[in-house]
Amino acid sequence: MSRSYLFIPGNTPSMIQNLDVFESDSVIIDFEDSVISYDKDAARILINNFLKKFSFKEFDIYIRINDSLNPNFLKDVQATIDLDITGYVLPKAGLEAIEELNKHIDNKLIIPIIESPLALLKAEDIAQSNNVSGLLLGAEDYTKELGINRTLNGTEILYARSYIAIICNAYGIESIDTPYTNKDDEIGLREDSINAKNLGFTAKALIHPNQVDIVNDVFSPSTEEIFQAKRIIKKSEESNKGAFSLDGKMIDLPIIEKAKKVLEKAKKYNL
Amino acid sequence: MSNLNKRKIKVIKSIDELFKLIDINDFTNISFHHHLRNGDGVINYVLDKYLREGVNNLNLFPSSIFPSYTKILELIKNEQVNNITTNYLNGPVAEYISNNGLPGMLTMQTHGGRARATIEGINEIDITFIAAPYANIYGDAIGYLGKNRCGSLGYIIPDSKHAKLKVLVTDNLVKDYLENPEINGENIDYILEVDSIGDKSGIVSGTTQITTNPIGVKIAKNTSRLLFELGLIKPGFSFQSGAGGVSLRATKDLKDIMIKENIKASFFSGGITKYHVEMLEMGLVEKLYDVQCFDLEAVDSLSKNINHIPISASDYANPNNPNQVIKDLDMVILGATEIDYNFNVNVTTDSHQTLIGGSGGHSDTATESKVSVIVSPLIKGRIPVIKERVTTITTLGKNIDCFVTERGIAINPLRTDLLELLKDSKLKIYTIKELSEIAHKYTKVPKESLKRDKIIGEVVDRTFEVIDNIYQK
Repeated sequence: MSRSYLFIPGNTPSMIQNLDVFESDSVIIDFEDSVISYDKDAARILINNFLKKFSFKEFDIYIRINDSLNPNFLKDVQATIDLDITGYVLPKAGLEAIEELNKHIDNKLIIPIIESPLALLKAEDIAQSNNVSGLLLGAEDYTKELGINRTLNGTEILYARSYIAIICNAYGIESIDTPYTNKDDEIGLREDSINAKNLGFTAKALIHPNQVDIVNDVFSPSTEEIFQAKRIIKKSEESNKGAFSLDGKMIDLPIIEKAKKVLEKAKKYNL
Repeated sequence: MSNLNKRKIKVIKSIDELFKLIDINDFTNISFHHHLRNGDGVINYVLDKYLREGVNNLNLFPSSIFPSYTKILELIKNEQVNNITTNYLNGPVAEYISNNGLPGMLTMQTHGGRARATIEGINEIDITFIAAPYANIYGDAIGYLGKNRCGSLGYIIPDSKHAKLKVLVTDNLVKDYLENPEINGENIDYILEVDSIGDKSGIVSGTTQITTNPIGVKIAKNTSRLLFELGLIKPGFSFQSGAGGVSLRATKDLKDIMIKENIKASFFSGGITKYHVEMLEMGLVEKLYDVQCFDLEAVDSLSKNINHIPISASDYANPNNPNQVIKDLDMVILGATEIDYNFNVNVTTDSHQTLIGGSGGHSDTATESKVSVIVSPLIKGRIPVIKERVTTITTLGKNIDCFVTERGIAINPLRTDLLELLKDSKLKIYTIKELSEIAHKYTKVPKESLKRDKIIGEVVDRTFEVIDNIYQK
């Protein structure tokens, strides 16, 4: 369970050295788009050495490897399979690609990136694949394949967002929204994050460390939500009934389960 | 008000004309201010005359030295300069002195210490040349009007009263009455009217922008959290920050807290930027006490906002001045090139002993404020900022209270009161040695390669105590 997934280029020592500084719940070390082809080897060597020397318990580490049709795919997996990481982020994900990755890994999670119309159509099957712990919407490639432009209000990805959020919630996995690419627009980032949260996303991917605070804030339960959740759980324990009334509103099992989730998040993030 | 009873000052039209009236060889202890920073044209104009005349045994007292002050380097190379007393220097002059020293000594004072030394006659100044963006024929002057306005003239006000001869240098001479002039014409001996005193755009430093570097942002966030948890951000608090990107980011974070908590500060002091001005205009702070403007927005604010007040270096930080503004400071945020296990801070030299700055108001404000906070990345360019002993002490560790990095915070063990306040804090609090060990996990312990053979200068605190020597590289 993470609120923020921060991408960090795998070939930048000054960023790698500080990956525990930025307070992101998860860090995605990138071997794909942010690393130019002639630097992929260097990134693998750097990360292998770094993560063998330093281990981190306060946050999860994922590695975005190159896609399964890329010649770097296997090299990326082999260079990192023995490292203490939570899992892999798989670009251009499809059922075959996930199957291929599963052949090489053990005890590692997979977060497929849904970044094509076909992947979106297959998202329900992808969500049920082995080791898949969440889906990440890759809106830039998705809209590129559709041949449409991105807009500030994100109308063009509304369906994809809604669909992914529904599927992830249906199968109990993480739903991770696409990054907000204007790193200097704090107001836009907050609005975009709130929109994603309101559609059912549990987290958001980030492309810059300065975005972490806002995203963590939006995806954290508010003080009021925590207060209300505590009241619901207390009343539930006291009444010992499946359904009861609180402040004139009916409280039943789904609401009690939701309150438990809120408190679980609050505990995890020390809120 | 009028100019009745005011004495007209003799106006001269060139430096050559001035030295026809007085013997240049009688005026070898020379002072300047640096308010125009890299845009200053007066220092080079005046010193070119000393160069041409071949005057020797010069002792220079510029409040700071910037890269554009090229005539100083020419005079040094020409062996015409004995001693330099200043508060800050960087660029070619600093590099040359680091490598070669001076025939005499480099004396690094603080801003408050310079004011005190000038007033008390320790700095024996024969002649001061005061670049004045706006002056009248009675010798009154201000810095915040005129085509080359630079803002406050705070650092030169003690010189304008205590130098043996005072020369106002202006490119904007008027006949009008000047209300509340910074430089009082009663003290002025000559007005030197020139075509240009420099270029006002040169006052803007590249560092006076809020940082967006994620490490700097994290340090700033830790700083504002620390100040908040210490209970310092409360109605009527007072504050000073440097003009570095991290300090300004911390100021912005402070602003956000003030808005959220509906808190208004009493005053900000020191070097003023557009960010401080914005907070004044938003009503978040009552007054700005300005000894130096760091950008043109601050300069313009001085001319139109009565709560933005220019002050002299003595009123700012002279320890013997009972009205010094900084004695009422609640907190100050300052930078560091190095800090050591005893919390001594260096902002004078780099780790290779090259002069890169100086105290300015660092030691003054750290000494006087209730809480002094040093902000710095734990590792700079693969070198840990914490050392067993700093290369050069600029500010004594006993005056430093908190050291904030991206990875955690160290509190000076002398401040048991602060440690008590933070005992239940969620902030990561370490000892300074623990922070150092965290850095060494990444960098190992760097090998020292300092030369301590020849002393070329000394760091003099505002108390006049020599707190460290500066060695030739």
